[in-house]
Amino acid sequence: MSRADLEAGQVIRMSLLFRVQHLLLTVLLTVLAVTGFALMYHENSLAQWIIRLEGGVHNRGIVHRVAAVLMMANLVYHVFYMLFSREGKPELRQLLIGRQDIDDFFQSLRYNIGTAKEYPRFGKYGYKEKFQYWGASAGIILISFTGIMLWAEGFSMVFFPKVVLDLAIVIHGYQGLLAFVILFLWHLYNVHLHPSVFPMNPSWITGKVSSEWMREEHPLEYEKLKREGHL
Amino acid sequence: MRRPFLTAALAAAALYLAVPAGAAAPGVGECMDCHGDSTIEKTLPNGQALSLFVDLQAYRQSVHGKSSCVSCHADAKAPHDKLKKVSCEKCHGDAGKSYAGSSHGKLRAKGVTDVPGCDGCHGKHDIRKPTDPAARTFRLNIVATCLRCHKDRAIEQKYNLPDQKVMAAYEQSVHGMASKKSGLTGSAVCIDCHGNHAILPGDQPRSATHRQSIPTMCGKCHPGILEQYEKSVHGKGMRAGIAESPVCTDCHGEHTIAKVADPTSSVSPRNIPKTCSGCHEKGGISTRYAIQKKRFSSYMDSFHGIAVEYGMTKAANCSSCHGVHDILPSSDPASSVNKANIPKTCGKCHPNAGPNFAKGDVHVDVSPKKAMGVFAVRLFYTIFITSLVILFALHVGLELYGRWNRKKNNGSGGKEGQS
Repeated sequence: MSRADLEAGQVIRMSLLFRVQHLLLTVLLTVLAVTGFALMYHENSLAQWIIRLEGGVHNRGIVHRVAAVLMMANLVYHVFYMLFSREGKPELRQLLIGRQDIDDFFQSLRYNIGTAKEYPRFGKYGYKEKFQYWGASAGIILISFTGIMLWAEGFSMVFFPKVVLDLAIVIHGYQGLLAFVILFLWHLYNVHLHPSVFPMNPSWITGKVSSEWMREEHPLEYEKLKREGHL
Repeated sequence: MRRPFLTAALAAAALYLAVPAGAAAPGVGECMDCHGDSTIEKTLPNGQALSLFVDLQAYRQSVHGKSSCVSCHADAKAPHDKLKKVSCEKCHGDAGKSYAGSSHGKLRAKGVTDVPGCDGCHGKHDIRKPTDPAARTFRLNIVATCLRCHKDRAIEQKYNLPDQKVMAAYEQSVHGMASKKSGLTGSAVCIDCHGNHAILPGDQPRSATHRQSIPTMCGKCHPGILEQYEKSVHGKGMRAGIAESPVCTDCHGEHTIAKVADPTSSVSPRNIPKTCSGCHEKGGISTRYAIQKKRFSSYMDSFHGIAVEYGMTKAANCSSCHGVHDILPSSDPASSVNKANIPKTCGKCHPNAGPNFAKGDVHVDVSPKKAMGVFAVRLFYTIFITSLVILFALHVGLELYGRWNRKKNNGSGGKEGQS
């Protein structure tokens, strides 16, 4: 953290590499959702309009697969980054879900009902962020596997009865819907509409948040940064 | 002895030859004295002028050109008053008989004059053989001859005939294009389907275009296809007298028949699902003939259906798997969709789809009975996603409530964290 940041009361929350991964994911998931849902809801007139816009079913498929390949590459890169890089390893440790997160969840409920005095004190990632991260990861892995199965349909047909591919289509589509629901209702609420960040948590662009926000929302992380002399 | 005999024979011959001459029947030349004048005309009771001119040259080139005027106008003398109507039946008995039973003939017999008699289609003095390219009844001229009346709005309304557009559509059809554009005489023109002298509307059992006769009629030119059709479930049903069993025109259309490659054709890959579902999506059909339901909707929900709907016509349509003219029920061992033949049928496009792949249903009717797996997964996701949305909403609502509550109690509390 630079001196200027310190003076402006800014702390880093997302490094450049994470921001690039996040931005890629944002763009690619949007493309995948637009091309995917157009096919899933093909009887809808808006979907039909989108498919025509994308140049028909064939071209839609090409766009969807190009985006999918990039997304899976992004995923593979992310896995390696989290497992082996100097920056990724501690991030992964902080993202692991533990007993504390469940307690935090219930404490936050009690706090909001009014039966607990204290709001849970989060580290860098609270239960919301962790749920989001693992939910999205599991979803992306499942959707990637079913997607590959359907893409390589000639290969899949050797091994699976048709019913397996039928299931793969259903899982692929509904998993997409699930990801969409989590991202648009949960993630976008938490990073845009939530009163503590409205209109936007700027860290996905600048990588930084105010140290004041960090102290309020992630006090354990704030204290750690302070201990380590970053503040 | 010999002389008187010869004289008598000569006299008898002379007498014999002289008798008709003695009746003073006029020769063609005599008739042409008056009728060769191109200005000769008479005034009809309604005030119209009727030309009485006969083009000798056209007559000479006609099929009757070597006869004499009196062959048809038997009561003609020179000069004469109004002659009797010419009766073609005298020589053309069979044609006359068929014509009398036709729609045209019946109306004509009632005294209606705006339906064609013999001359309406064949002409009068200039009648030529149908094989003569100049004849009105030459194959390539037939359409124009029929359309002279059948493209006329007034006639269409008067006799409650099909829309003139239907007639005009023929010219754009594969048959119309073949005869008009390519000049092929082998292509069907009006008379090949409707008949010529005995023409009747299609709803009459004796009509050439009655449902029961259509396969045989089309089979005149398409015998190989007729043979396949006769063996198919549709053909057998039709022969068994099941009226709703499809005949050629139910799938291909009538005047609009177009090539499979033509995107407007009812049997083009893209339109086939709509054409088949015209009958197969009707509830009654599946119960009456014990056919499984939801064949169309399940197809349209499959990738094949979506792809075809959006113009990716190499994806399978109904006929890709079920066949075309040779469609058989899946219970028939010879059927392309019989359980034993499914791997081969899928294999036409998907070489890797072996017997293992072909287990289970091809049309996925998502219900607990027909496709439990897909049904269960769908149900699970629907419940899961719905619950998740409700939980999100509750969580957000609770946060907002807590915030509002804390603000009310101590005025601050805008932030979640400790203060």
